[in-house]
Amino acid sequence: MRAAVLLLILLPPMVAQDLCKDSKDGFKVRLSIKTALGDKAYEWNKSEMFLFRSTLAFAMRRANQSNQDTNYDTANILVCNDTQRVSFVFVVTSPDDPTQLIPREQVEQAVKLSKHRINNVFLLSDMTLEFVGIPPTLAAPIVYDTPPWLIVFGVVIGAVAVGIMALLMSTVSKTRRAKDKAAGFAGEDAGIVKENGTTLSSLGGVYNQAFSNDDRFTQL
Amino acid sequence: MSKEARPSWDSPMQFVLACVSYAVGLGNVWRFPYLCQMHGGGGFLIPYLLMLVLEGIPLFCMELAIGQKMRLGSIGAWTAINPYLGGLGIASVVTSMYLCLYYNVINAWSFWYLFHSFQSVLPWAECPVNSNRTGYLEECEVASPTQYFFFRETLNISSSIDENGGIHMGQALCLLLAWIIVYLFIVRGVKSTGMVVYFTATFPYVVLIIYLIRGVTLHGAWNGVKYLFTPKLEQLANPQTWINAATQIFFSLGLGFGSLIAFASYNHHNNNFERQAVVVSLINSSTSVFASIVTFAIYGFKATFNYESCLERMRLLLLNTFDLSEDTISVENISSWISHLNFTHPERFAAIASKIEDCSLEAELDTAVEGTGLAFIVYSEAIKNMPLSQLWSVLYFVMLLLLGMGSMLGNVTAIITPLGDLKFLSRTLSNETINGLVCLLCFLLGFGFTSRSGNYWFTIFNEYAATFSLLFIVLIEVISVCYIYGLRRFEKDIEDMLGHRPNWYWKLMWAVISPVLLISLFIFYIINYIQGGTPTYQAWDKDLGKSVVKEYPVYGQVFIVLLLVSSVSCVPLSALYAFCRRKQRGTPVPPQTLNMSSDI
Repeated sequence: MRAAVLLLILLPPMVAQDLCKDSKDGFKVRLSIKTALGDKAYEWNKSEMFLFRSTLAFAMRRANQSNQDTNYDTANILVCNDTQRVSFVFVVTSPDDPTQLIPREQVEQAVKLSKHRINNVFLLSDMTLEFVGIPPTLAAPIVYDTPPWLIVFGVVIGAVAVGIMALLMSTVSKTRRAKDKAAGFAGEDAGIVKENGTTLSSLGGVYNQAFSNDDRFTQL
Repeated sequence: MSKEARPSWDSPMQFVLACVSYAVGLGNVWRFPYLCQMHGGGGFLIPYLLMLVLEGIPLFCMELAIGQKMRLGSIGAWTAINPYLGGLGIASVVTSMYLCLYYNVINAWSFWYLFHSFQSVLPWAECPVNSNRTGYLEECEVASPTQYFFFRETLNISSSIDENGGIHMGQALCLLLAWIIVYLFIVRGVKSTGMVVYFTATFPYVVLIIYLIRGVTLHGAWNGVKYLFTPKLEQLANPQTWINAATQIFFSLGLGFGSLIAFASYNHHNNNFERQAVVVSLINSSTSVFASIVTFAIYGFKATFNYESCLERMRLLLLNTFDLSEDTISVENISSWISHLNFTHPERFAAIASKIEDCSLEAELDTAVEGTGLAFIVYSEAIKNMPLSQLWSVLYFVMLLLLGMGSMLGNVTAIITPLGDLKFLSRTLSNETINGLVCLLCFLLGFGFTSRSGNYWFTIFNEYAATFSLLFIVLIEVISVCYIYGLRRFEKDIEDMLGHRPNWYWKLMWAVISPVLLISLFIFYIINYIQGGTPTYQAWDKDLGKSVVKEYPVYGQVFIVLLLVSSVSCVPLSALYAFCRRKQRGTPVPPQTLNMSSDI
């Protein structure tokens, strides 16, 4: 009689261990607390494990909110293979039937839904709290209406275009001014205006051939 | 003879800055550090400085003398030296044209990277996420984010030169901007160029100093600088070292393009070009050494970062496989743990043996890279790991732009100066219009480089368009000045300009040493080309995430030959043309015939 009572009391945890160890519906979890927090790292102990189990129970409840009957509790989260690394395996049992495990896909969905909340409970990130087999959902890429590079490009090319227009305008106005001045010296040839806007002829002189640099041409 | 005075620099300082801006270009930043690393670190400085003295400074001075004496662009100057040599100037212009076409594409890429630096996260820092947000894009996973950004998002490169694709609109826009800015700088000729060079010559040094300070304070920078300066003197016995030193000096100074002749043609008659030549050459070489210190500080930082990441990965691998507590293995005792675990748990260790990497700082430092790979991939990888990376990125690409734009000024001036000297052109069109047409033509032709296979065509131009032809041009230049024009006559011209004759050093270099060096370089190039077999290129394989070697197709090889022949053949063809015209005239040449032959 007493043996039977003892067996009855000890059976659930033993069954639980078997459920956890042999199961293919379980996930391995790995925490890198010291890497994430350095000096402020907390120690992993039974209380933290309790927190983990309750967080996972919360995740399962959240995933099944449509179905109000499911009441996941910390007793439904079974943990085994605890190591120094701070890694362990967990399985989730159904609240209606403790011997039946929740399939892998459902657990994966629940974890993916609440991963951000789970991370924050432990002050960790996707890199330091890993569920082996559940890849983290990466942040969505930022989508811009106008790509920022195009804006900077527009500004620069606008400034350059204004610069060129200003330069060309000043050249044109100088040409016009020089032409008016050259027209004033009647009888002299106007001369085409080049870069610095004055011609020798517009100054009223005559080019003296004697000082030209003729000897740069070689004799054949 | 022109009735208007030729425009000139506002001061000799502008001329010196223009030469510095032209000579100090991208090659100082991305070619010299590579050569230094390949050929024995600090020991490479010995052949480099020797070649500077034997060939760099004399040839630089010679080109300045010719330009200042003749006061014409390259075509007019060489025709004046000897009517049969006008083709030398034409060859220079053709080579400058090829250079302009592809060089501005690098500026376009710098603009692209610069504009993309204005984001909260640099786009080459992380891989883009795939459609269902479970992982990164595959191509980015096998390569690295910086390589992915360069090959896929910047170039959208195809897998071989045969596959053309569409034009990359972003690249085309950046190329347009680059050409518009070049036009803005040269529109008024030497007046506008003279203003701009104050900025383009000096600001890169400001950035280099800032980067030097930032670089040497980075973690691990000292490893790189130490690696650079540890001389491996046995490399001096390798003839390749000396050849590379000679070619680097030669190309770094920008000889043979006609830019130096063009710049010097705007000088006053008595400008002391001799001293300026020495000053500019020394500034160019010391900038190379300075830039390589900065580059190696950054290399050291990147190598140390990668090495430490490798160690961290190994540590995590061991911790996760053997479920040990986090503080048992640290980066210092990894190797002892590896051997311990291999001994105690051989089966489990064998399971992960394939993932164990051999982390080595030396191996990381040994990966020598040059060219666009260094500037756009390696450097941007280092920058993304720096704190405040957007700021450093903007500074770095602004520096690249200024270096590139400064060199472009010289390249375009080498084309527009001879064109502006041609009588029939300058009579009908104003200088602004000629300059605009040249820029427009180069822009339209440069569209080909913005297509998907554009980078492969860029590599063809980069390797073949201006290397062999320049050696040929400068060799003919120095031989014609010394032996056809006559060294005595040249001495007299210099005395006329400077007030004293050149001393024995100049005469010895011009007449004997430089021609001998150039002939040997020339022969070496030919032997190398023949021995090299079919020319090959690096094609990006997107499945492997790395470059693979492929041979050029037949039309590619024909194009290479065309590039070489088109510039080199200008010299004999033009001489032949001048000969036929003389035969036609049947008389010895009076000055007016010379005028007509400069109307080519």
